Amino acid sequence: MKENKVKVTFLSQNETILVEKGITLLEASIRAGVYVNSICGGDGICGKCKLIIKEGDVTARPTTLLKRDEIKEGYVLACQTEVTGDVVIEVPPESRAKGKILIDKDAQRFRALYAPMKGQVFFKYDPLIQKIYLEVSPPSLQDNVSDHVHLYRSIKRKKNIPILQSGLKVIRSLPYILRDSDWKITVTLGVRGGTIEAIQVEEGNTTDQNFAVAVDVGTSTVVVHLVNLNTFETMDAEATYNSQMSYGDEVTRRIIYAELKGEEKLREAIVDDINNLITTLISRNNIRLSDVMAVVCAGNTAMIHFLLELDPSNLRREPFIPVCTYPPPIRASEVGIKINPRGLLYSLPSIASWIGADVTAGILATGLYQADELTMLIDIGTNGEIVIGNKDWMVCCSASAGPAFEGSGVKSGMRAAEGAIEKFRISEDGKIQYTTIGEADPIGICGSGLIDIMAEMFKAGIVDRSGKLDPDSNDRVRNVNGELEFVLVPSSQTAIKDDIVIAQADIESLIRAKAAIFAGINVLIRILSIEFSDIKRIYLAGGFGNYLDKENAITLGLIPDIERDKVQFVGNTSILGAKMALLSKDALDIAYKISKNITYYDLITYADYMNEFMSAKFLPHTDVGKFPTIMRKLKRKF
Amino acid sequence: MNIPDVKQSWPNPINEVTIGATKEEGGTRSNTITIGGTGTLPFLSFEGRSPHHPVIAMEVWDFAPADWPEELEKYFSDVWDDPGKWAKKCVDEFNADLICLRLQGCDPDGENKSSDEAGEAVKRVLESVTVPLIIWGCGNKEKDNEILPVCSQTAAGEKCLLGTITEDNYKTLVALCKADKHKLIAESPVDINIAKQVNILAADIGLAPEDIVIYPSTGSLGYGIEYVYSIMERGRIAGLSGDKMWAMPLLADIGKEVWKVKEAVVAEEEVPGWGNHVQRGPLWEAITALVYLQAGSDIIIMRHPKAVEELKKYIHSLTNKN
Repeated sequence: MKENKVKVTFLSQNETILVEKGITLLEASIRAGVYVNSICGGDGICGKCKLIIKEGDVTARPTTLLKRDEIKEGYVLACQTEVTGDVVIEVPPESRAKGKILIDKDAQRFRALYAPMKGQVFFKYDPLIQKIYLEVSPPSLQDNVSDHVHLYRSIKRKKNIPILQSGLKVIRSLPYILRDSDWKITVTLGVRGGTIEAIQVEEGNTTDQNFAVAVDVGTSTVVVHLVNLNTFETMDAEATYNSQMSYGDEVTRRIIYAELKGEEKLREAIVDDINNLITTLISRNNIRLSDVMAVVCAGNTAMIHFLLELDPSNLRREPFIPVCTYPPPIRASEVGIKINPRGLLYSLPSIASWIGADVTAGILATGLYQADELTMLIDIGTNGEIVIGNKDWMVCCSASAGPAFEGSGVKSGMRAAEGAIEKFRISEDGKIQYTTIGEADPIGICGSGLIDIMAEMFKAGIVDRSGKLDPDSNDRVRNVNGELEFVLVPSSQTAIKDDIVIAQADIESLIRAKAAIFAGINVLIRILSIEFSDIKRIYLAGGFGNYLDKENAITLGLIPDIERDKVQFVGNTSILGAKMALLSKDALDIAYKISKNITYYDLITYADYMNEFMSAKFLPHTDVGKFPTIMRKLKRKF
Repeated sequence: MNIPDVKQSWPNPINEVTIGATKEEGGTRSNTITIGGTGTLPFLSFEGRSPHHPVIAMEVWDFAPADWPEELEKYFSDVWDDPGKWAKKCVDEFNADLICLRLQGCDPDGENKSSDEAGEAVKRVLESVTVPLIIWGCGNKEKDNEILPVCSQTAAGEKCLLGTITEDNYKTLVALCKADKHKLIAESPVDINIAKQVNILAADIGLAPEDIVIYPSTGSLGYGIEYVYSIMERGRIAGLSGDKMWAMPLLADIGKEVWKVKEAVVAEEEVPGWGNHVQRGPLWEAITALVYLQAGSDIIIMRHPKAVEELKKYIHSLTNKN
């Protein structure tokens, strides 16, 4: 055995690992935890995973994606190169992570997510929208088919597409575009269910301008990522609070509003948010709106109903029936989304009334659907969704947590954006340390900061186990109009005029939120008759920004007390899944399979949920036996 | 055919709590009372040991109550202007095991008596009777935090049972009990989780679990009694099964609940068919108390002498074979 192992050294990262002969350098880099760009996931088509061999033996398959002088300098494609002996590698700058911090971290997480799973591959790069450039031979007396057939024939010569369709508008424009362009055209192809539509025909070669957006339509937060479909890169990202908030903090209230005043207002609110975010992103990146050809959305079932202006009223009434869980691709303009007027809107499939496409996206992004071992996904948003399963079966439930962990409804709360406190510590001697996103002066606290603050205050004895602030515990606890609050940052050190505080009512909202989620986890565990120790991996997802302290999440009793290395923070998997579907039709197909194969468990039918909830409304839990490591740590202090 | 043995054994007996201190123990009581210690569900003597039988405390106020019905008034109106005399009558004439002094007169919405007056009332009772004492605040948490420190000091060393602590208000009382060597009543609003949480909170700041008696709230017969019953039973089973934070004796506050419901007080003339209220009232109290005994109560607080007498007979019949 030993002879088959070889050493791979990554110079710039100072990492060396032992691997079996014959694996690719891409695989080796994943195992070593060295980030190397790769978008096609090892298919040898994106050319992003360039490495330089400094010393040693490899076998590289021929590729057209490297330049002659690159090959001379020792460049290889990591995914096309097998290790045959000890090698020393350098990762050139172009293969390292680049771009904005938020996106890089996402990309790294994406990789990290995949690295530990055996046999995991990326999806084949096959975006839902593709542009192809055609130089069509002009018709003649011998070749006298219609413009329409002529176009289809040319497309099919280049791409194997069994069923092609197009709208009347495109057909009407054909005689002019074909002749004005001297038969040199760019066709935009879009996936529409089982067929491909020629969405748009343009003069000349515009293939270098092909963009799309992925959207996470959250109850409280809307996130949009701008994706370049040629380079597969996420170019930029922007987020905002969902302005439907003015019609109700939580989904049910918005449904009631829609019933009373019509669904239109809610659609308009969310569409305006999405349009504003898209406009911001394209102007910041100098892109024309007409070159954005698709929107892929993930979001809970109600949010997708609002977006498509479907009647949501049966979602909240027994037996809780959605209008539609597999919305077909439609023109984005039909709901008012402003991209190219012929651009398409894809909504990822939902699972049930109260478990949406965001969960489908999460399962897709984490690869839970093909895990060998029992895996849990906890997606913390306004609803906390919990999935337990593996490649053979999946069960999920949804618990109403409220928007506290998204920073909403909390006095100094905010989204994970620049200036948000995302990390917080109280040292043994009572000193406070924090870091903010973008290292800016603090403006407020985002979800990960709130988790840290709660856990740190608990450990420091500033709040007791029921979350009550102790006025005598710390100088920073003060009474304002009868309510206690803890001053985290005095106004003199903030970028705003106010002190950044956490008030007693905020703590109560956060404890309710964590209790709802943990109760959901516990109920699902009980229904399946398993133990926490049977869970081999927990993916913790949510719009927390770049960071989440899992130890503190366990200290609070938000997630079960299991071995820390089994817990992995995976960020916003809703948008990640939407992007995967955007970039690969295979991923979209799997999303459909996931949503069909999963079993939904409705907590409403479980009589003891309320009792579980009350039991979880304590730090870390009323049943202290569930949190042995936390209890051991706390004991040390008394 | 053999009848299968359905006896169950439990791993964790309920804590013993001793209330009162004799001269040797640093107090002035003639006897102490120990509750708890049971290793089985109530009255299942064939399954396990129950070393101490349930006890009855009679309720005494620090002022003459205006809202007690005639049926109680006739027994106590001659003594209720003095908590000392009132307590003495309960012990001497009605065989109360303990006295529960309720400092209702300190309620800021009522008489609003001072903490000194509360301390005086405690002193009067201690002088007048030699049984152990329960001291119960007025229920307003700010006021209780003022009056109970005085009462606690007045009774320092007497190992009284003081109450109540709640989820929102436990720090002052826990500190007092540790200093003056009393025991505590932990109150919760008919909630199996909160009952346990109060105990954990108190234990977190250093109160020994062995110094706690659980009061999970009480409802009169006909007013949610089955709900409280199930909480007490589930809690007791949890305690016997090994949950240290449920392994405490239980308390039921019967008189206060029963004597405000119409079934106990309305006269026959008003509701023909309900029978004579002179018998109905005490019976309602006794039956309510009996249900709580079966749920696992170790201390029962009561008002009517006849109801007390009935319950004592009942306890005797269940705890003494032959």
